[in-house]
Amino acid sequence: MSTPPSGHRLTEEQILLRDTLRELADARIAPRAADIDRSGEFPEDIRRLLAQHDVLGLPFPAEHGGVGGDLLTVCLAIEQIARACTTSSLILAVQDLGSLPLRLGGSEDQLARWVPRLASGETLICFGLTEPEAGSDAAALRTTAVRDGDDYLVSGTKRFITNGSVAGLVTIFAVTNPEAPRHRRLSCFIVEVPTQGFRVARLEHKMGIRGSPTAELELTSVRVPAANRIGDEGDGWDLAMRTFERSRPGIAAQAVGIAQGALEAASAYARERKQFGQRIGDFQMVASMLADMDAQVEAARQLLYTACEVIESGAPDAARWAAMCKLVAGDTAMRVTTDAVQVFGGYGYVDEFPVERMMRDAKITQLYEGTQQIQRLVIARALLGRGRD
Amino acid sequence: MHIVVLTKPVPDPAAAAERLGPDLRLDRAASPAVVNGNDEYALEAALKLVEAHGGEVTLLTMAPPSGADTMRKALAMGATRGVLVTDPALAGSCVRSTDEVLAAALRELTFDLVFSGFDTSDGNAGVVGAAIAARLGLPYLSNAAKIEPDPAAGRVRVRRITPAGHDLLEAPMPALVVCTQVLGEPRYPSLKGIMSARSKEIASRSLADLGLDGATVGGAAATTEVLDSRRPPARGATTVVRGSAAEGAAAIVALLTTRRLI
Amino acid sequence: MARFWVVGEPNADGSISKLSTEVATLARSLADAAGGDAVGIVVGTDPGRAAAELAAFLPRVIAVADPGLAGHAWSVPAAERVAGVLGADPDAGGFVMLGAGPDGRDLAGTLAALTGRGVLANATAVRWDGRLVVEMGAFGGKLVTSSGFTTPGGMVTIRPNMVTAEPLPTPGVVEAQAPAGSAALPRVAIVEQVEEAGAVAPIEEARIIVSGGRGVGGPEGFQLVGELAAELGGAVGATRAAVDSGWVPYSQQIGQTGKIVKPQLYLALGISGAIQHKVGMQTAETIVAVNRDPDAPIAEFADLLVVGDLFEVGRALLVALRERSG
Repeated sequence: MSTPPSGHRLTEEQILLRDTLRELADARIAPRAADIDRSGEFPEDIRRLLAQHDVLGLPFPAEHGGVGGDLLTVCLAIEQIARACTTSSLILAVQDLGSLPLRLGGSEDQLARWVPRLASGETLICFGLTEPEAGSDAAALRTTAVRDGDDYLVSGTKRFITNGSVAGLVTIFAVTNPEAPRHRRLSCFIVEVPTQGFRVARLEHKMGIRGSPTAELELTSVRVPAANRIGDEGDGWDLAMRTFERSRPGIAAQAVGIAQGALEAASAYARERKQFGQRIGDFQMVASMLADMDAQVEAARQLLYTACEVIESGAPDAARWAAMCKLVAGDTAMRVTTDAVQVFGGYGYVDEFPVERMMRDAKITQLYEGTQQIQRLVIARALLGRGRD
Repeated sequence: MHIVVLTKPVPDPAAAAERLGPDLRLDRAASPAVVNGNDEYALEAALKLVEAHGGEVTLLTMAPPSGADTMRKALAMGATRGVLVTDPALAGSCVRSTDEVLAAALRELTFDLVFSGFDTSDGNAGVVGAAIAARLGLPYLSNAAKIEPDPAAGRVRVRRITPAGHDLLEAPMPALVVCTQVLGEPRYPSLKGIMSARSKEIASRSLADLGLDGATVGGAAATTEVLDSRRPPARGATTVVRGSAAEGAAAIVALLTTRRLI
Repeated sequence: MARFWVVGEPNADGSISKLSTEVATLARSLADAAGGDAVGIVVGTDPGRAAAELAAFLPRVIAVADPGLAGHAWSVPAAERVAGVLGADPDAGGFVMLGAGPDGRDLAGTLAALTGRGVLANATAVRWDGRLVVEMGAFGGKLVTSSGFTTPGGMVTIRPNMVTAEPLPTPGVVEAQAPAGSAALPRVAIVEQVEEAGAVAPIEEARIIVSGGRGVGGPEGFQLVGELAAELGGAVGATRAAVDSGWVPYSQQIGQTGKIVKPQLYLALGISGAIQHKVGMQTAETIVAVNRDPDAPIAEFADLLVVGDLFEVGRALLVALRERSG
């Protein structure tokens, strides 16, 4: 199945971009996927490849050296790469996520300072919000940023930070106003690393996305100039929430890509594998599974594309759309990859075939960037209004 | 330097959906069109040369209006602009019309080099380049494995693949060169290129613009016509032999003996 | 009366190209069917030998010696000389047949512009049916079209191995003619001619091709391919993957961006048979494939598929062939 899905709602550029990245992913990324998973090493070669082909420049404004892609365009790119290799797609997804606070709230000065090298891909950026005691309860952050002259001293621990060990810039959320109301306590800073007091404490060993370094970061009185603060003191929470509106579709795109890759692998297998004298795709139980998988992936995809358009147009319920597309896509990816393994039977369990890796990779899309339960809270709140606060 | 690259939209060979319509002409609606694969090698060679020497690359295509869409990828790869010769009278053109029309379009342009791909995946003719060169009185250099222009001296050297190895040809510019795959893999369009392709100019020329008459070029004046088409005869069933290597070898020897090949 | 002109191509060593003798044989049979005649034209700096060799296949061959061709690319000035011969002939119509190799194509294109004749290229079959009917493959061989000319004359380029060359019982005559017609088109200088080690006869002309793909694994693996080719009296071919990996020169690449071949035997070792390669060899008379994968695409159109390791089967085949020839 090398014919791409129909692009009836995509612009010419988006179709060309999608098809170009699809070819690039098939030719240069897919052959590396199994190795990346097995070795657990960050694929520096893929980062260079993506940088070379302007892929890492996609989310950034053209006037600072980026490609100026809109949300849907960035998601198309993530989807095509994820179809071949989830770890590789995360390089782009996190470059997008990590830089969103800067792009949403940074001054012209700050954009001019940092965007060019992010857009060129020579520097990676990561998103430092989560802590050991603050996962879903993101407002319960403990990392502090205390004013000291023209700087802040930042101390605390961040956990599960994707690309934390390979990034040159870290977007850190820290408490600047402990006495303020809950959603005004946090500020957002860009920390240039390496720097005194900053260290990568450890890397996690994970079920999937094994080539993606997931780091615990320790900050001990790290000196950060006030000029590195994004927006005003207290803007941190708001920046984080606005970030999620645009980054959750990126994860949805990743999930749709994983699911599509699994669907294609399972379909190809069903077309060729013969048992009882015929190809297994002709058995109704198998065909039925594949049909459901295809319909579900397409539904998740179309919801994602619609969400991108709605969010890009500035709709007031952007948070709801972001949560919905991430919720549906993540659950779809898990279901589709699990079924893909089932289609392969015993072969689906061994690493000679890619679906076991895709299943392990898919799980994270139900966990990060807000668990599926958090997504449901967001949607319910939009549906039912706030009962209590 | 200014290099003109001749490109042709062809049915996507990967889509495998090509067919002829009831009028025995290509049914363009049935199959998505892409830039002819071999033209991409010519384009890549041109892009590399203008990157090295400075200059621009113009695409020249004779096609229905949808040819503009196919040009986008080539523009995204880095060509500067496109010229699309399109006219309803050109439907059903033969090779003679094609080279006459393209030659007329080239007469309007100033260039150092014209590049053409080796042949097209939908017609395999491979003669248009030579015909255009003859019409325009351009030096003709074909089968190029390497192209080295010297803009200051106004000359170009081309390494031409021959059965024995290669010949080194030299000619003054402007000249027409037919390119081969050996020149190097075409690049992926850069994403910046893709986003900016829409803003690049595609100029449209009709037959009247070129001073040509639909009665003497185009479908009405075609020198050839398709009489019919059919599927090639199916090959027989495949015999599959498994077993030891010796058994496989014996099966091959038996077949070759039966067919008097050994 | 229909006249069938055959433009002969001299090889670098002055002999006539094999393809030209095939075209000549075809032209003769068409002339017989049409009640016309077939005449050869050979243009070169010193065309005597090539013309004489072509005359073994045609009753009359016109030899045009043009010393001015020396040191220049052949096809363009030769086309002008051919146009001169055609122009001098009172028979305004007539068909011009050429080989569809690189020089033949080049000459055909130039001649088409000089004479205004239509071109039907890469013919896979030609017959006379009250008019000339030319078959060509379209869309990578998915369709076979039959075409004709709407004008009284036309040009046809012929693929190698369409016919087997058959000499006349007694050779024809060679008639020298002085170069005629204009010599206005620019002549391109040949600065240097380089022979490359390992350069081989044009693979399109081979009757037997043993071809290796990605499965061969490297240049060492291609030694086996070469030995089998030698044992069978054939040529070595390759897929794009093998050429891109640098194991085999591009001139031996078969497929969409390489050569289209129609040998009597195509032996494919470690070749999956994907469309890009298939279009280059699918009209071979006999296709034998050796592949580890019984579901490879080549299984759909090979005559015989041996499932196994190409090196094991290849070596066994080499032994069997050598034993057979004693």
